[in-house]
Amino acid sequence: MKVKVISRSTDEFTRERSQDLQRVFHNFDPNLRTQEKAVEYQRALNAAKLDKIFARPFIGAMDGHIDAVSCMAKNPNYLKGIFSGSMDGDIRLWDIANSTGSERTGGASETVIAFFFFLSCFRYYHFDVYLLVTTFVGFGNVIEVIRRTVCRFPGHQGAVRGMTASTDGRTLVSCGTDCTVRLWNVPVATIMESGNLSDCSSEPQAVYMGENAYWAVDHQWSGDLFATAGAQVDIWNHNRSQPVSSFKWGTDSVISVRFNPGEPNLLATSARLRVVRAKVYDILVFVHAMHVCWGFSYSSLVSDITYSRTLRAGDRSIMLYDLRVSSPARKLIMRTKTNCISWNPMEPMNFTAANEDCNCYSYDARKLNEAKCVHKDHVSAVMDIDFSPTGREFVTGSYDRTVRIFQYNGGHSREIYHTKRMQRVFCVKFSCDASYVISGSDDTNLRLWKAKASEQLGILLPREQRRHEYNEALKKRYKHLPEVKRIVRHRHLPKPIYKAGVLRRVMIEAERRKDHRRKAHSAPGSIVTEPMRKRRIIKEVE
Amino acid sequence: MQSHKMIEKKRKSRDGKKHDRPQKFTKKSKFSKKKGKNEDEKRRTGPRLPQSLRKELDRVNPNDQSCSEEDEEDVNGDVYEYEEGVPEEESKKNRRFDSVENYEYELPKDFKDENVDSDEDDDFDGGENEIAHHKGKKGDLDQLDDDVEDEDDERHLRMLQGITGMPSQAFQDRKKNKVVVSEGYPESEYNPTRDVLDGDGRIAIEDLLESIQGKPGYRELRKITRQVEKKGKLLQAPLPKEDRDRLERIAAYKQSKKDITRWEPLVKRNREAPTIIFDKDTDSGFSTIGAIASEFEPRTEFEKKMSSLVNDDDVMAAHKEDGSRLLELNKISLEDYINSRNHIAKMRSLLFRHEVKMKRVKKIKSKTYHRLLKKDRLKGSVGMPMDAEEAKELAMKQEFKRAEERMTLRHKNQSKWAQRIVKRGMDAQDEGTRAAMAEQLHQHALLTRKMNSMKDSSSSDDSSDEEDSEKSDGSDEDKASKLLAQAQEKTRRVLEEDDGVPDSGVLSLPFMKRAMKKRKEAADEEGRLAIQEFESSLKELEDTDGAKITKTGTVSGRRVFGASKTQVIEPKNKIRSSSYSSDSEAELEAQEDIDVSLGRTDDMENNINVNSVSLYVDADIAQDSVLKNSELVKDLGPKMTYEVSMLKSNKWKKMSSSRNEVDTNGKRSQKVVEPVTHNQDIELEGVGEDSDADSEGQMLDGILSSEHKSSYKLPSQAELIREAFAGDDVQEEFNKDKEEIMNLENPEPEKPVQLPGWGQWTRVQKKKGLPSWVLEEHENAKRNREETLRKRKDAHLKHVIISEKLDKKAEKLLTGTLPYPFTSKEVFEQSIRMPIGPEFNPATAVKALIRPEVVKKQGLIIKPIRYEDVDSHERGGEERRQSGQKRRINRNKGRVKAVVAKS
Repeated sequence: MKVKVISRSTDEFTRERSQDLQRVFHNFDPNLRTQEKAVEYQRALNAAKLDKIFARPFIGAMDGHIDAVSCMAKNPNYLKGIFSGSMDGDIRLWDIANSTGSERTGGASETVIAFFFFLSCFRYYHFDVYLLVTTFVGFGNVIEVIRRTVCRFPGHQGAVRGMTASTDGRTLVSCGTDCTVRLWNVPVATIMESGNLSDCSSEPQAVYMGENAYWAVDHQWSGDLFATAGAQVDIWNHNRSQPVSSFKWGTDSVISVRFNPGEPNLLATSARLRVVRAKVYDILVFVHAMHVCWGFSYSSLVSDITYSRTLRAGDRSIMLYDLRVSSPARKLIMRTKTNCISWNPMEPMNFTAANEDCNCYSYDARKLNEAKCVHKDHVSAVMDIDFSPTGREFVTGSYDRTVRIFQYNGGHSREIYHTKRMQRVFCVKFSCDASYVISGSDDTNLRLWKAKASEQLGILLPREQRRHEYNEALKKRYKHLPEVKRIVRHRHLPKPIYKAGVLRRVMIEAERRKDHRRKAHSAPGSIVTEPMRKRRIIKEVE
Repeated sequence: MQSHKMIEKKRKSRDGKKHDRPQKFTKKSKFSKKKGKNEDEKRRTGPRLPQSLRKELDRVNPNDQSCSEEDEEDVNGDVYEYEEGVPEEESKKNRRFDSVENYEYELPKDFKDENVDSDEDDDFDGGENEIAHHKGKKGDLDQLDDDVEDEDDERHLRMLQGITGMPSQAFQDRKKNKVVVSEGYPESEYNPTRDVLDGDGRIAIEDLLESIQGKPGYRELRKITRQVEKKGKLLQAPLPKEDRDRLERIAAYKQSKKDITRWEPLVKRNREAPTIIFDKDTDSGFSTIGAIASEFEPRTEFEKKMSSLVNDDDVMAAHKEDGSRLLELNKISLEDYINSRNHIAKMRSLLFRHEVKMKRVKKIKSKTYHRLLKKDRLKGSVGMPMDAEEAKELAMKQEFKRAEERMTLRHKNQSKWAQRIVKRGMDAQDEGTRAAMAEQLHQHALLTRKMNSMKDSSSSDDSSDEEDSEKSDGSDEDKASKLLAQAQEKTRRVLEEDDGVPDSGVLSLPFMKRAMKKRKEAADEEGRLAIQEFESSLKELEDTDGAKITKTGTVSGRRVFGASKTQVIEPKNKIRSSSYSSDSEAELEAQEDIDVSLGRTDDMENNINVNSVSLYVDADIAQDSVLKNSELVKDLGPKMTYEVSMLKSNKWKKMSSSRNEVDTNGKRSQKVVEPVTHNQDIELEGVGEDSDADSEGQMLDGILSSEHKSSYKLPSQAELIREAFAGDDVQEEFNKDKEEIMNLENPEPEKPVQLPGWGQWTRVQKKKGLPSWVLEEHENAKRNREETLRKRKDAHLKHVIISEKLDKKAEKLLTGTLPYPFTSKEVFEQSIRMPIGPEFNPATAVKALIRPEVVKKQGLIIKPIRYEDVDSHERGGEERRQSGQKRRINRNKGRVKAVVAKS
């Protein structure tokens, strides 16, 4: 005889701690919950909306430079340290953890409140005390300001054009238009942490003079070589005053250089025409129009037009070098200048080039005849690019005064950051933990942004974490549905950028239409439309 | 160089092995050959080719000149094509620099002759103006000029020699230089030196070799050079630098391409992984067992002992050296071995016996036995000589109980029952109650007594328990009788068993034995008496029982229940057998019913049994206490049980009635309790016409079905359908629906109505009727409607309505086009079909379902990828776990992957 009873053992239902959750049993039969899809859709919608509500990407600005920030370098070994160089030759080391603008004022007021509280406890009011308080407040402010720049490295005469730190984070290499390469000792992290050093300034460890101005420098990831770019590409060792080797291919000057982080002997450079040989006057009006509409920088436009007149090889090229054979490997010539290159740190064969024509082009170093992806969205020249250490996204800074974040395989940007006061962005960096973005711009400020605009900072409880993950998953799942898509995509843009974007679209559409008509009215097969991935490539030079 | 060697050889053969070969001679011969070549060219060609072109031609087919020549020099040239230098000849070369002028004078004559012979050679001019000629004709005749020049040189050289008395070698260089100088133009790419043009005048290896002739190692060197010559090819001129660079770049690119390609599987795996985790490179400690073992440090004594044995030097040494030494160390003496074997055998047999015993015990089904056994065990553990700790614990427990008793005074007439009895007065109570009260007081006294004297409290405890159980639930008379019987049996068993005499210790002493025997005899006597008493009391009980059954009938609990049970089962079985035609469902139900009722009755019986048993005194108490208790029970017996049974049956009724409210089964089971004798009779008749409530439903079913079978004729399918849908015209309804929907989606245009004041003046309007444009519009609208209706997808489908209305609410849940990564609609729909929330999935699955693509920690520096070997053919289904320094691969995340791939 069988008697069925509900049996629940106490072992299963006894909590180990009083904080533990009570065990709950669910029946997951889908027939019992017929509305689950509708519920989840609604949740996805809400999550998308909440994301918009909580999107506060700007953390703070770091001011201190007295000229435009031209370049930055992150310390690969110390998360909080970031170096910035400006057009007047000033190099600063920042502690980004203690330098948020909002915190500064907030912190000061808090101290004041605390102080008053302290006073009120003792019931001691006196004029002197007030005086003391005011001085204290002022002092606090000053301290805050100074603490943000941890260290300064004076020495460069002209603009600092390139900076990089060695992998161990001990040495900083900078170069500039004063034809010098300078090596600096980076103060140890503990000194930075202690905060008692208000404004240290150090002497360069070494100064190497060159013949031409240097435009860029980059350090090898594993190894003690670094490469400078100028009239030629020089490979240096830390301990040698002369370059170990130098490469030259063509007559153009190299403006950016990047080592491949995965494959330490491979480096890519981008170059541009050294001399602009053109009569500018007759086309100046046109150039101006192009600049206004397309956001091309003047110089590139001029050279571009020159280009169309005198087709010259080796102008706006991207070059690959291999250090093992100490020879250039390949050159790719594009229609417009490439301002910067960044290798994907997780995919050593891929790199992305920030181009003057408002787009970024992702290439496979093995197949240079075609870009893998074209990342459009900027409305002016892209000045700098940096990959996230995760290799899944990259950040770009543009001449259109915005910072954008792209997926490594996404045609359009995931995020756009802008503020009223941020001017032309010359340099951007992703932080080493892939959760912050730092931008340096023409307005002499560095700005710290969150990589995910609505991310909650600070330590999350596991349940909170799970909640966020769930929301993300929902958004990802329903991102194709029109409502969710609309909310997720929507960004409020400054008027000029918005209008420039609209205009750009109009122009592209017009071009496309014209192309289409031309095709329709000519013999079939006589006009071939090249895909965007190939259109901007002139040729690949062996 | 080769050529000039050939010539030498030829000359040698002609000159009859002259050993003195002057250096000048060789020079001359070279020039002569060149001249011959020149001549040959001239002869061959009608128009004069430029020198450079001719050189080209020569290079292309160098030996075509030889065939046409029968000249000495040309034969020489011919020979030089396929003959090589002979070593013996080389031996003479060492005199190369010896100045022998004789031949020099001969040779120019030869040349002259030749020159004269050649009839086309009219360009020849002596002296210095040849240079101009040479230039004018693009160096056509430079060879000839050279000869003439040479002649002059020779003369000049001789003169010098004569003057200075120095050997001719001293002036050799000067001569060479002179050749260059003699040209009026500086050397350039348009005006090359003669050497370059002719490909001659270079130093050969032989030239160098000659100088070391005769020295050790010369022979080997020569051999090598000859080999090289034999196999040797002409070195190509190096490519231009541009080309070289290009090739280098191509190679470099190829190389770097290859290097990058090795990352492909790794990158592919990362990309395909549902989640990529960037984690800290935490050192999870030792990875190998050996490493863990090496860190082990013995702490406890046992461990220390073990380690001392394991790390014994002898053993270690033996391990290192030889296995045989280990065997020696392992040696055991025969005695030890036998001992251990015996020990093991003994243990085994003991184990086996124990096992057998336990099996037997397990087979015993008597619950009483097991209960007693358990109690036995407990008692045993209490009675056993225990160690200090246990004793202490027990003492503590008892102390606690005592304290509790003193605090609560539970056994001191505090309970309601006791208070009631006290209130009524002890005299009014019956014997049993009084005894119970006394017992309780005794219990209290025992509990509150000091620790030392608490040894005998157990039995009284039990009795109090028994009282409690008596109070809470009762039993009936035959329980008492059973109890008595059991007590009797127990006593008998005790009598039988109690002859185990200890064969060691104090008790084994003879006088002790004797005393024990005496005591045992006394006890036996007592026991026998007790059994007799039991028997007599049992008899009494049985008598009263019978009387009571006849009196009470249905009222008392168990007995009645048992009877009803049997009564119920019987008819049910009959029902089943009779209603074979009824459908299986009903049958099943009936069966179930029976089961349920059976179960319930059984359960009840058990319950009562247990209760009554729990009444019973523990059998393991000493005999006297048993006797006392049983007597007590006997006294209490009749009344108590009666009371309890009443209570019991009431309870049961209440229970059943409550169940009646809940379900229908309860109703039936309640009826079971009713006397069912006539019911039984009805069943026996076969068909239950006024069937019992018990099996009402089933019976009805059964009857119905059997009746159908006899009278009903099966209608055809069509008939059935017609009957089923009689009265409703589906076709028409559908048509109406369709029309309605059509009208809804394409509404009929409104009929134009005359609106006074609209269109025209009222007066005019009235006269003219509707304005024409209104009518026209109406017509148009009508036509349009018809058009659209005709174009509808369901226009020609009779039984289908295809709605063409757009549902705006549904639209926002649909995508306009198929989203990018998906290739088919089904896959996309599948991907969002299953919910991922914690409400719809178990907690374990949710975590995997909502895991993001990139998992990273804030504040953790992520380093770039490092190379590791990945099996490129490995299929996905593994999750990548990556850290800054090294990555671990978690292979059993296939589930995760699958799930995520879906979402």
